[in-house]
Amino acid sequence: MITGAARGIGRACAVAYARAGADLLLTDIGRDLPGVPYPLGTADQLAHTALLCREQGAGSAVVTVPADVRDTGDVGAVVEAALDRFGRIDVLLNNAGIAAPSGKTVHDITPDEWDLMLDVDVSGAWRMIRAVGGAMTRQRSGSIVNVASTAGLVGYRHFAGYVTAKHALVGLTKAAALDLAPFGVRVNALCPGSVRDDEAAEGRMLSEIARSLDVPVEEHEQTFTAAQPMNRLIEPDDVAGAALWLASDESRQVTGSTVTVDGGFTSR
Amino acid sequence: MTDDRFTDPSAAGRLCRAVALRVHTGADPERLGRALALLGPAGARLWVEDVPDGAESPAAALLRERELSRPADPATGPGLRAVLLRYADGAADLVVVAHRAVAADPYEPARALLLEPAAPAAGPAPVPGSASGGAAAGLREQVARLDREPAPAWGLGEPGATTAGARPFTLTVHGDVPVAVTAAAALGLVLARCTVDPEVELGVDPGHSLTFTAGGAATVGEYLARVRDTGPAPCRAPVAGLYVTEPAEVLTGEGVKAETLSARPFLAPLHPLSVHVADDGSTVLSGVCHHRRSVFGDAAAEWLTGMLVTAHRALVTAGPDTPLADVPLFDDEQRHRLAVLGGLGRTPSAPGAAGERIERTVRAWAERTPDATAVSDEGRALTYRQLDERAERIAGSLRALGVAPADRVGVCLDRTADLVVVLLGVLKTGAAYVPMDPAYPADRLAYMTEDAELSLVVTESEAFPSLEGVRTVSPGSLAAEVPEGTPAPGPLSADDAAYVIYTSGSTGRPKGVVVPHRNVGALMDATREDFGLGAQDVWTLFHSSAFDFSVWEIWGCLTTGGRLVVVPYWASRDPQRFARLLGDERVTVLSQTPSAFAQLMEADRAEPVADSVRLVVFGGEPLDTRPLRSWLDRHPASRCRLVNMFGITETTVHVTAQTVTRREALTGSRSVGHPLPGWHVSVLDPEGRELPPGVAGEIHVGGAGVAGQYLNRPELTAQRFVPDPHAPGPMYRSGDRGRLLPDGRLEHLGRLDNQVKLRGFRIELDEIRARLLDAPGVAAAAVVLRRKPGDAAGARLDAYVVLRGGDGVPGGDGDPGGGTAAPAGTEEVRRHAARFLPEHMVPSTVTALPALPLTPNGKIDTARLPEPLTGGGPDASPADEEAGDLETRLRAVWEKVFGFRVGPDDDFFALGGNSLLAVRLLAALRDAAMPVFPLPQLYLHRTVRALAAFLDKAEARA
Repeated sequence: MITGAARGIGRACAVAYARAGADLLLTDIGRDLPGVPYPLGTADQLAHTALLCREQGAGSAVVTVPADVRDTGDVGAVVEAALDRFGRIDVLLNNAGIAAPSGKTVHDITPDEWDLMLDVDVSGAWRMIRAVGGAMTRQRSGSIVNVASTAGLVGYRHFAGYVTAKHALVGLTKAAALDLAPFGVRVNALCPGSVRDDEAAEGRMLSEIARSLDVPVEEHEQTFTAAQPMNRLIEPDDVAGAALWLASDESRQVTGSTVTVDGGFTSR
Repeated sequence: MTDDRFTDPSAAGRLCRAVALRVHTGADPERLGRALALLGPAGARLWVEDVPDGAESPAAALLRERELSRPADPATGPGLRAVLLRYADGAADLVVVAHRAVAADPYEPARALLLEPAAPAAGPAPVPGSASGGAAAGLREQVARLDREPAPAWGLGEPGATTAGARPFTLTVHGDVPVAVTAAAALGLVLARCTVDPEVELGVDPGHSLTFTAGGAATVGEYLARVRDTGPAPCRAPVAGLYVTEPAEVLTGEGVKAETLSARPFLAPLHPLSVHVADDGSTVLSGVCHHRRSVFGDAAAEWLTGMLVTAHRALVTAGPDTPLADVPLFDDEQRHRLAVLGGLGRTPSAPGAAGERIERTVRAWAERTPDATAVSDEGRALTYRQLDERAERIAGSLRALGVAPADRVGVCLDRTADLVVVLLGVLKTGAAYVPMDPAYPADRLAYMTEDAELSLVVTESEAFPSLEGVRTVSPGSLAAEVPEGTPAPGPLSADDAAYVIYTSGSTGRPKGVVVPHRNVGALMDATREDFGLGAQDVWTLFHSSAFDFSVWEIWGCLTTGGRLVVVPYWASRDPQRFARLLGDERVTVLSQTPSAFAQLMEADRAEPVADSVRLVVFGGEPLDTRPLRSWLDRHPASRCRLVNMFGITETTVHVTAQTVTRREALTGSRSVGHPLPGWHVSVLDPEGRELPPGVAGEIHVGGAGVAGQYLNRPELTAQRFVPDPHAPGPMYRSGDRGRLLPDGRLEHLGRLDNQVKLRGFRIELDEIRARLLDAPGVAAAAVVLRRKPGDAAGARLDAYVVLRGGDGVPGGDGDPGGGTAAPAGTEEVRRHAARFLPEHMVPSTVTALPALPLTPNGKIDTARLPEPLTGGGPDASPADEEAGDLETRLRAVWEKVFGFRVGPDDDFFALGGNSLLAVRLLAALRDAAMPVFPLPQLYLHRTVRALAAFLDKAEARA
């Protein structure tokens, strides 16, 4: 089950999971949100992810359900659909998140901007965990992967809301890992660095960050690349590799951990 | 071929059924969705999956398969799932999965969806969705009940496995009996033979089964009629289920045409063994044998499937008057495969000694290495040349006394170098030797002498009974007399008897087993290379010549050019001295009974056994591998190989060999290994029919080692040596229980007659013993069933254990023992056994002994196990410490110290006493305010009676 699956990291992970033979329930919001200054994943983009999964997957059945992770009812319906269609939920990839509204000094952020950021990026992930927890603990197995960010480990100027939300997501990961460990359910955080706006994945994270900072995308891309010890930006597929490992039994003893896919950015 | 399709061990998968229909026309999701909302359980949705490939593509097949095996659990959803698979070429499949609590057969809702609303009257009533909660819980409870049944050992399951396997097969329909009947009859017959129980129960759904008898004197016709007339009844917990699905009609309606592609009565094996036969109306039906690997392993399932097909073919083609007992489970090819699995056709890679007589092989070594030491005996040594010459002289004297080829000569000598010389001398005359242990009671010696029709016995024993017509001579006189020049016999055959060894079965009189030279040669051919036996080896002669383990020791050594170290009696009875002897003589090949080795292991803790020993061969008794862990800790298998050999006198010492590594010891393996090359085994049921791997029956041994006859006992010979269907020569019915493992190794499961009955329960004493050995600190154990004659209520199980980690002093509860590690008390051992064994198998008493008494052959001597102190019958009268004469009071103190009943003439040291116990005895005497004496006096007065007399005298003097 993947949230934010219409494009970007979510789409790359969905295709990677499909290639590994997984059946998929894909969800995205499918509409724009007031207060978020850029277009969000659309129903068409979600359907396209599903098509890619069917074409490239190994016998994967794919279900798409639009959902807003801020809405408890939506979240419940997604989980119900997954259980009805597949009978079980083995993996939850909490990928839905927003990067903006950002670009302000901490004291200039409005209460609505602050609440929106935390509602999507932290509480949204928690709502999903809350909704799948029952099924996974009954199964006595499951893997939850929270897509955080290097912003969950270090600070970025003018991104106080995002940084706070992603740090909180790392904290949620650790606490949930301890709660669910007795049931054989693992919870880990994945912290990608700056991911390039891949054409195939239709990602636009970097562009939105550039816009928030009011710099041209090319310049922002160059600045970020220069800051990367491996001298290149992260690709969505790079993140998908780690997400697949965390979902699989290969990582059976990994829980409560943060896995960075940042080209060494946070190690400097 | 197997596959892992059913990987969902959940109850939901087992309780769901599925159907896939190819929808030629009418695959309209809108209409089907509406129909489902109308007819289906609440919340059921139609799922549509657009497949970017054609309907016949592998991708489509994979997807369809995944939908067909995906459970619909009413606990997490509506319990019914409808998926429309739409393919790129326009074709479509409708897959409906339904939990049994929601719909009895998913075909009905599938049919209703397709035909609704065109023909509403034809459809069933809407599926009740809400009422399924209770039904689902009931079904889950039925499944849970199936799972509570312990896995039958014959299924060869892997405990803890969560996967299932599937083995396809085909059944050919013949005649007019429905396949539901013939398949049930065939499966029932297979189960009856495998469980050795004619009562069969076959599950037909989670709560119902067919119960019938697949045995007795019935004919095939009667049996099929019996199965046909059996109706489903509420079931107990059948291990197997049979599901025959019938063909569905082609669905046609307004704008609709569809037909069944596939139907599944379960998505994961409902019963541990769930057989599905799809009756599509043709004459060759396909079926699949689904098995949960935790209960039925892949190999067992393969054999079961093969037997099912063979039995079915035989049942449908046999005439109705054919006795059911004659219906085979194996065809010729399977039978041959079983025989090969049992070792048929394996031959030694480097035969050499077969076809050669023993004394000629020894003679060859005398020519090759004349000055090498052949036998050492307490400082005395004989070279091969000396051995050969002396034996030649003995042979000459024997010939002068009239011994001729094919005669039998009794040899009743203690274990010395002379014994070896005499045995070889007898063989040189062409006669067979009949070994007798001088320690045997006179009556037994007389019986053997008469039974073997001996006229000459070589002995030094003055106690040898004088019998009419039987001459006794000493080895000394045979060696001293100069042969009169009686000519040596002409060429002798390897088919002649080499020895006649008496074995005492559990019933009846001892009987002589006649073993030809050829067998001994074959035994050495079978082992020489594998064990690396050669002139560099030093063997022990530990066992009495009357026990055939000595044949292996003596001739195994002397036909491979090694040096044979005769173990003096005192060393064979004192493990520490024996351990020292092994080092002093640099012994390399050690042959031991497990009981004797257990004592050597104890000695090894105190003073490690020399690292010269590179091979330990176990024989004579079943080996419990678990206690060997501690030995392997100190003597890694890479330096000292342990080989467990199952053997029988009637098959020339050994039959199989299993190298025991840490792995075997850790798992408590009961494998005795593969048959030796040239030997083969089969496991047969009481009717003499082959049994598949995993199923226990009577071990039969064929091949190069089979003796062929009991001396002068033609009836018994015909009973025990039966024709071998696979090879020339007879096959020996061993009376041992065992089973083949799928890799061809044999598991030995004890004597068939070691099953005792106690209060109506059939009890395997070996199983109790194995549990006792599980208990921490138990080094050796024995269990006996004691019954008072004519008093069934007085029967009870008495257990005896040797506790490790101390001085071997029996430590009751609260007894500090005296060892370094805290040994378990006897009560603790009993509690441990009680945790695993059913109540009727828990020993009434557990007595700790310093050592278990052994027979002269080194096996546990159950007759000499003392009566336990506690739990005694009505006539048990423990001696009273407070009252009675000195002897009675003294006996009471002994019993307190030993922890078991002591007789007035029991020898302190024979009871297992040692110096530590002696010190404890003196302390106990002091505590009881009884006369005390200097410790060495105990060595002079070893029994209660003698000690009492001594103390009386001493008191009188004082």
